[in-house]
Amino acid sequence: MARFLVRRITLALVTLWLLSVIVFLASHALPGDVGRKILGPFADERAVASLDAALGVDKPLLVQYVTWMGGFLHADLGSSLSFHVPVAELLGRGLLNSVKLAAVAFVMVVPLGVLGGIVAALRRGGLADRLITIVGLSATVVPEFVSSIVLILVFSVTLKVLPISVQVPPDADPLTQIYHLILPALPLVLVLFGYIARITRSGVIEALDADYTRTAVLKGLPWRTVVVRHVLRNALMPTIAVVATQLGYLIGGLVIIEFMFNYQGLGRLLLTAAQQRDFPLLQAAVMLVGVVYLTATLVADISYSLINPRIRLGGAE
Amino acid sequence: MDREAQRRLDGIRARRTELENSVIDEMLAGRVSRREFVRAGSVIGISLPVLGAILAACSSGPTTAPSTGGVKKGGRLNMGHQTPSGPMDPILTADLGRLTILGLAGEYLSFSDKDLKLRPVLAESWSPNSDGSAWTFKIRQGVKFNDGTPMTVDDVVATFNRLADPTLKGNNALSAFSGVLTKGNVTKVDSSTVKFQLDSPNGNFPYLVSSDNYNAIILPASYSGNWDKTFIGTGPWKMKSYSVNDSVSFDRNPNYWDTSNVPPLDGIDIKFYADEQAMILAFQAGSLNVLSFFSVRGGQTLLTDPNTTVQGISSTEHRQVHMRTDQPPFDNNLVRQALAYAIDRQAVITGLFNGKAQVANDHPIFKLYPSSDPSVSQRSLDINKAKGLMAQAGKAAGFNVTLYTEKVQEIPDLAALIQAAGKQIGITIELNITDSGTYYDKYWLNSPLGITDYGHRGVPNTFLKAPLLGDPKLGKWNAAHFNNPTYDTLVADYVKAIDLPSQKAVTGKIEQLLLDQTPLIIPYTYDALTAMKKNIKGIETTGMGHVNLTKAGITS
Repeated sequence: MARFLVRRITLALVTLWLLSVIVFLASHALPGDVGRKILGPFADERAVASLDAALGVDKPLLVQYVTWMGGFLHADLGSSLSFHVPVAELLGRGLLNSVKLAAVAFVMVVPLGVLGGIVAALRRGGLADRLITIVGLSATVVPEFVSSIVLILVFSVTLKVLPISVQVPPDADPLTQIYHLILPALPLVLVLFGYIARITRSGVIEALDADYTRTAVLKGLPWRTVVVRHVLRNALMPTIAVVATQLGYLIGGLVIIEFMFNYQGLGRLLLTAAQQRDFPLLQAAVMLVGVVYLTATLVADISYSLINPRIRLGGAE
Repeated sequence: MDREAQRRLDGIRARRTELENSVIDEMLAGRVSRREFVRAGSVIGISLPVLGAILAACSSGPTTAPSTGGVKKGGRLNMGHQTPSGPMDPILTADLGRLTILGLAGEYLSFSDKDLKLRPVLAESWSPNSDGSAWTFKIRQGVKFNDGTPMTVDDVVATFNRLADPTLKGNNALSAFSGVLTKGNVTKVDSSTVKFQLDSPNGNFPYLVSSDNYNAIILPASYSGNWDKTFIGTGPWKMKSYSVNDSVSFDRNPNYWDTSNVPPLDGIDIKFYADEQAMILAFQAGSLNVLSFFSVRGGQTLLTDPNTTVQGISSTEHRQVHMRTDQPPFDNNLVRQALAYAIDRQAVITGLFNGKAQVANDHPIFKLYPSSDPSVSQRSLDINKAKGLMAQAGKAAGFNVTLYTEKVQEIPDLAALIQAAGKQIGITIELNITDSGTYYDKYWLNSPLGITDYGHRGVPNTFLKAPLLGDPKLGKWNAAHFNNPTYDTLVADYVKAIDLPSQKAVTGKIEQLLLDQTPLIIPYTYDALTAMKKNIKGIETTGMGHVNLTKAGITS
């Protein structure tokens, strides 16, 4: 197990380093000058040049990369070019908000999706199965910006039962915060429900058809025990992997949702940074999202291997 | 006018300068309207009470402030506002997101209102020397910054010498002061008087030190950056909390100098939005009760919403369609005129703005400016004439050209309408629409045909110079590569004209010349729109994007 872990973590670090190179080069390939971006197209060239020099963005790329990486390794993420505040402060706030929203969405969608998948599998071909499959699939293909607007118009503008997530005081009690996060989490539930239900359904169906299930049934175990002890334990493995990879998306990829609800998460921060050519912020934010994704996959691999020793052995060969 | 009124007017006139009396003559002769008179008088420094007295003597009352009836004391506004696109610093500020916030905490020497009239704020009065090459401002006494330190003439002198400094990091005011004001030429005359010695005569100079030049809030002489930590200024609002890229809250400034103008509101909570749609939805859901500014394009539903008051004011915000005058196919002014005649401006305004815009005439001396010449005729749709011009230019067979522009608000739609207009007269226009960073970097000054967005200005000086002057040092935004010595001379004459009659003597010629040459098509100026719930009253906005909330409040 230890060797397996070491291997996986080393691989993750190499991936992160590669990511840093790619993100650095890609962000510098963006058209547009930082000083020009901050001062606007009509600013005097002298003003732009002086600002660029002060920000250090007129230096050669390699120098900029080494400076950035050096700071990064010393846990100094630098200062945001466009907001004049430490990048760590902005990212910390963004990450915290993203985790909160992801947690609420996660708690809502995972039980729902898994339950839906199990019910569909057990009632394979029946009305419940068709309903869950069709509703899930339809909800998944509706883009988030459409479902967000519909949900806001229904629950916030017309019925006035759920608040649009503005002005939640950061020091509000947890229940109030959760209440404000329900509406932004709903479009995510819609997107992910069908996906999770579908994976769970096919896992359960596969397990139901497996030999060990037939054996369990034939040896006279009650149906409930067969499902809980034998079917689900095997069936949920693909679901865990899928859910874990979705964690990365839930925390780092919600650009549209965060825009629609004016929510200060990582996704919105990323897009703002890209638009402003705010390199330190952009690069650090991408790296952070990378770390989140890698951690989520790592956690998935580990839990997977705990449930299924075959993976672990395969890794140690 | 009766004898008593004549006597009072003579009394006032005896104390006025020659320049001031020429403005009064213009009004008495009926050559300027009352509104233009107040505005012109305010530029050359006749105080509002005196203007009022003159108008009263001419048998009518002074202009009155808008009524704010029924506003109760207390309460806070929840305002949605565009996200600032950079650090909160008066010197670096270049966008609406920041300038509105600056104007809440800080103040200018004067406030340029929606009618382009200057209202004294930190300056009590001002006046030019005989040729307008030097201006003196009387500075208000007894004003304190929101950290408790008194504001003095030294602070005013330091503020403007700083903004005229070309070596100051990221100094955005250079585009206003370059060639107008040199560092060191702002001096203290006495403890209440500041003198600006200009590089050359400038009749509209007071606008450059008013709220129209949003970089010019008065800061302490010792200011050295980090405005976003302190929000230092003399304004009616004091920063309570600020979260970068997210929100800012203000409380009423307890030490505000203007005790006759204490705001009824306790404070303002502003939430920043990167997406207009999200902001409008939050307003509709009741999380916000004011939207500082919104576009017709994003806010169609607000225009007809019975629970919303939409306040629209004319501005000089506009789009310039430039045609490169120095190379084919637009090197012939007849071809440029042809395209201009092929555009149905009225349809554009109805289609893109629901009528919340004003027709413009391919020159930047818009009707909102008192110096515009109303006798110059408006250009309008005339396809036959356009086809005739094409034939006359030897281009009856038409040609292909690419129009470059940016994906900003209604501009892509305008581009499509121009494409359709071109088709009618044989010009096949291909569209190349990019994000605005790419457009400004690669195509803006380097395209045969393009559309650029221009913000509001209280006087046309900037519009007349940077996008149109032939000298590359002055015509820095000259996308049309227009180079016309007659034009350059006329603009120089306009800039140094210090009174309205002499400005008007030139503007007609400039307008006519630009219509004949048509380096630019300027189809419209559009209105600045503010939305508020029905129970909110007293918000004053300007075309520049300032939001004055000193009289704003919630009705009981």
